[in-house]
Amino acid sequence: MEVRTFEGGAHIPHYKNYTEDKPIEKMSAPAEVIIPLLQHSGASCKPLVKEGDKVKIGQKIGDSDEFFSAPVHASISGTVKAVEPRTVPTGGKEDCVVIEADDGPQEFEMKQVRDPDSVSVEEYRKCVREGGVAGMGGAGLPTHVQTSPRQPVDTLLLNGAECEPFLTCDHRLMVEKAEELVKGAELMMKSIGASKVLMGIEVNKPDAIEAVSEKIKNRKDMEVIPLEVKYPQGFKSHLIKAATGRDVPRGARSADLGCIVRNVGTTVAAYEATVHDKPLIERIVTVSGPRVPKPGNYIIKIGTPLEHIIEQCGIRDLEGTKVVMGGPMTGLAQSELNVPLVKSTTGVVVLPPEMVREEMTYMNCVRCGKCVEHCPMLLYPNEISICAEAGMHEEALEWDIMDCIECGICAYICPSARPIVHLVQRAKPEVEKLQKR
Amino acid sequence: MTKLTYTPPPHLKAEDSVSKAMLDVIIALLPVTIFAILYYRGSALLTIVVCLIAAALTEVAFRKAFNKKPSLNDCSALLTGLLVALCLPPAVDWWIAALATFIGVGIGKELVGGLGLNRFNPALLGRVSVFLIPSLFYSLRPLFQDAGIYAGGVDAVTQGTPLAMSHQGADMSILQLLAWNDGGALVEVSPLMVIIGGAYLLYRGHISWRIPATMIATVFVLSILFMENPVNQILLGGVMLGAFFMATDWVTSPITDKGKIIFGIVIGVLVIVFRFLTPAVEGVAFAILIMNAFVPLIEKMTKRPSFSEPKATAATAGKGTAAAR
Repeated sequence: MEVRTFEGGAHIPHYKNYTEDKPIEKMSAPAEVIIPLLQHSGASCKPLVKEGDKVKIGQKIGDSDEFFSAPVHASISGTVKAVEPRTVPTGGKEDCVVIEADDGPQEFEMKQVRDPDSVSVEEYRKCVREGGVAGMGGAGLPTHVQTSPRQPVDTLLLNGAECEPFLTCDHRLMVEKAEELVKGAELMMKSIGASKVLMGIEVNKPDAIEAVSEKIKNRKDMEVIPLEVKYPQGFKSHLIKAATGRDVPRGARSADLGCIVRNVGTTVAAYEATVHDKPLIERIVTVSGPRVPKPGNYIIKIGTPLEHIIEQCGIRDLEGTKVVMGGPMTGLAQSELNVPLVKSTTGVVVLPPEMVREEMTYMNCVRCGKCVEHCPMLLYPNEISICAEAGMHEEALEWDIMDCIECGICAYICPSARPIVHLVQRAKPEVEKLQKR
Repeated sequence: MTKLTYTPPPHLKAEDSVSKAMLDVIIALLPVTIFAILYYRGSALLTIVVCLIAAALTEVAFRKAFNKKPSLNDCSALLTGLLVALCLPPAVDWWIAALATFIGVGIGKELVGGLGLNRFNPALLGRVSVFLIPSLFYSLRPLFQDAGIYAGGVDAVTQGTPLAMSHQGADMSILQLLAWNDGGALVEVSPLMVIIGGAYLLYRGHISWRIPATMIATVFVLSILFMENPVNQILLGGVMLGAFFMATDWVTSPITDKGKIIFGIVIGVLVIVFRFLTPAVEGVAFAILIMNAFVPLIEKMTKRPSFSEPKATAATAGKGTAAAR
């Protein structure tokens, strides 16, 4: 088996053993959901409901006229309690529709409304948009935007790398929903005008590689690409480089690259939106951590407060822990528990006190070169962090700070414990202003 | 309410730390240190202890003066102290050893902002300073004598070093060269022990092969061109210590792979120039210090292109594959 990868990167302990063998399981519905009107990159939705309205599961409750947007739907049946700003996983506040559950059944009824083999491209694109499908791997781009390229693109690259430690939701999805994944890939391939589907999967998921390979063994237009287990293998540009060998210059559009990358979860969600008319109202989430009593891969409703998830997984004491939404390398630590799960939340990782470093003291850069050795963007994080820290934005630009993908390897590996990613994030807006001048 | 920690990502951290790395370098120096103490006994032990104490005191004093938190636990001062001691001859006066350490740790490192901001290798700076300003010692000597302190002989380095003996044509077997060498600095007692330490650093991933390999190879090849015994030239003097411990110093060597190779080669050339074309000794120390000054320039020259840097040929090549499909 030929295993492909890219230059740089690092082997990071992956902690996937807690959940990689746990079958996907439904989590009970919460008593209340908080559904942000903006869960994707693009324009925010306008609410279609108001306080006191009765809503049904799957009902559209927010939409926008903008192309670069995706509607949101009620993930439970009940009564709208409020439409107001609430804290979201990014730490800021967004307008949210808060729904209180009623006593009725809280399951979306799955029945086939379209035949996947005969559905047209136009119909597919419309269903994906109406279903509010947006990138579920982290970036959160509205999927209908990505699947309607102006120029055809020859390759659809499905991202099943899942390189973030702890996360196994894509892994389980590939094992248990390989059929839907392959059918979804076919629909998506047609929609973008591609002639070929590549599925990049890290080799630490042999059962996923096997399950998907089994489903496509008679197809010439689909291929599984085994990838080396290396962080950040699942980042778009590195996946393209590893799987197709193509370079990904800054600012390149999909048409230039001849390649569109989609997350495997998104592909299945788009399939379900088309075949079952099921909007994106729930997703598979890995809840994990060394001390989590009931870690697993759960189907959780969008808008479920973190508190409900923590409770359902048997976590009693959070003192001194860090609760991260997303993976531990790029995810965001939460300061409160009433934040909702959103479409792009891949995981909830609870790091015990011994894995949490609270002190923010760090040393000068000692120029050990470890960040340079491992930087997947082939940058100089040492120089960038020094320039960013000192407010030397012009110099930071010369060291290509804007190319940084904030994967976090440099800060992970830095013996001086420098918060390199944080410094980069702080400096980038300033550098951007400089660029525009 | 429960207190949650929310610091920016990444939320995982590798075990690496500066103090662990520094401690590893000290461990790598233990073989030659122990060897030197066994060989020279009290005089070596005294020099080493003086340098370690001087290093610690200097760092504490400077950081206190600058109102900074003490950083002794990062072990970098102790490492500098040990390196200074190993570069000195065993019979050196204690105050020369202390002065060299003071200059290295105090002026070479703390005064310029602390570990990470120093442009020159602190240990070499300390060592070379006391070599360069012996006239100062002559003028200082009466002071000590007036105070009734015996300051020892001033010129402790005139005895035949192995390198000087080799210059004079003395025959030494390889085995003799590798261990139990008399004369010269403490570290010259056994190049073999230095190589073992260097191998440990390579194994632990603290240094890259690029600087030591290119520096040693350059000295070797150029020695042949100068009709000298190349084995003697790489084993004698400070070449091994310089190649594995001084030129590879994180802070004062290039961070780029290509830069490391250039750095190693030029140091090798300078060592040969100092050895065969000038009357100067301490060629390795000067060669490294001179190249320390060029590190920023070397790094700028050898910067690799970013992953996102558009390649002139890549666009056409990409189209080629797309068309071929």
